[in-house]
Amino acid sequence: MASEKLFEPRIVGFLCNWCSYAGADLAGTSRTQYPPNVRIIRVPCSGRVDPLFVLKALQDGADGVMVLGCHPGDCHYQQGNYIAQRRYALMHRLLEFIGVESGRLYVDWVSASEGKKFAQIVTEFTEQVRALGPSAIRPRPAGVALAAGEVCA
Amino acid sequence: MSSQQEQIREAARAYLEGGVVSVVIGYEHGPKGQVRPAFVYEAGDVDRLIWSRECNQNLTTYLHSFKHSPRRGAPVPRVAVVVRACDARAVNLLLHEQQIERDNIKVIGVVCGDREARGQERQACRYCQEREPVIYDTLVEPEAPVKLSETPDDYADILEMEEWAPQERLAYWLTEFDRCIRCYACRQACPGCYCFECVAEQVDPHWSSIAVELPEKFFFHVMRAFHLAGRCVGCDACEAVCPMDIPLSKLNRKLAKEVEDLFGYRTGDDPAALPPLATFNPEERLPL
Repeated sequence: MASEKLFEPRIVGFLCNWCSYAGADLAGTSRTQYPPNVRIIRVPCSGRVDPLFVLKALQDGADGVMVLGCHPGDCHYQQGNYIAQRRYALMHRLLEFIGVESGRLYVDWVSASEGKKFAQIVTEFTEQVRALGPSAIRPRPAGVALAAGEVCA
Repeated sequence: MSSQQEQIREAARAYLEGGVVSVVIGYEHGPKGQVRPAFVYEAGDVDRLIWSRECNQNLTTYLHSFKHSPRRGAPVPRVAVVVRACDARAVNLLLHEQQIERDNIKVIGVVCGDREARGQERQACRYCQEREPVIYDTLVEPEAPVKLSETPDDYADILEMEEWAPQERLAYWLTEFDRCIRCYACRQACPGCYCFECVAEQVDPHWSSIAVELPEKFFFHVMRAFHLAGRCVGCDACEAVCPMDIPLSKLNRKLAKEVEDLFGYRTGDDPAALPPLATFNPEERLPL
């Protein structure tokens, strides 16, 4: 089917200002290629990412959500990523129980020096969500499929 | 020993006559014979209070109505509340979250009657192993020995659902949530849902539209379930009041199961223990 070929996942990425956003910046300045499907939102800390944000993104039609923060022990605010870790361990299990494939939510730690790792994570996650297909929570109207490279939905 | 109803009335009378509390929250019969919450202010009115198998509301929700001073200079009212074992853990939750003060409440803890008779419908009663409430000032003893469940909740229905394909589960929940009329009865009946401004109705930031459409309903229920993660006491008040019979207890029990699995925590057992999502452990590495 043509529409399936055209499916480009819409991914929302919440990146912590101190590590992961800088990591993404490094990926950019080093000209590392990664898929343009991720829309990055800069947040002060992964602990700022209320699971509400993830739900809101899914409700508004995101096909995948990624939350990236500093490595454990490296949090600029000492404890934000530990709190995020507890939340998202639960959120994963809740989303899976609701029937949102757990592959649609990705939580990991990326430091400011890990531009390569960031690019790799985005590439892998995009492929993973592409394989899962469009999210069923807010299906797109028939015929509205994003063409490759289209930025805004 | 006198009946549990008599014991509740005696305790209420003693509290009101002694001036210990200004109001007793209990159960009474409504005009059509239904059981409804009762607010008794006069010792002469305590005979309105009843105790029966149908007393299924979680009255600790109403403690929120009495946690502030009614007018400037007036003291915060003292309240007595009739609780079952599950509701008592909600009292602990509210004490822990500093919503109420221990000195301002008197807890009339009822040892629920025969579980088999009580718990035909309610999931919460089916596996209940609690005889005495975890917190009480006056204990209302049963007339006959109480039959407790011999096994803890085995989460059989949850485990069965976990075996389904994700698409099946999503279809199941979207069908269930689609019936929701967004009346917020579940939220109102819940002792843990006490935000001044609920995310579902907040205008700035406007998280969720007021539309009664599937994405908004999905958002509301998953958000509410997650807000109660590690806080739900499992009284099933939300499910009991739902006019559309949405199986909300399945969501809450799933989260209770995961919280127990990840953090070994059960809500309300220990008022001193920090709820798992309010704290952290630098040593732990959880599956993400």
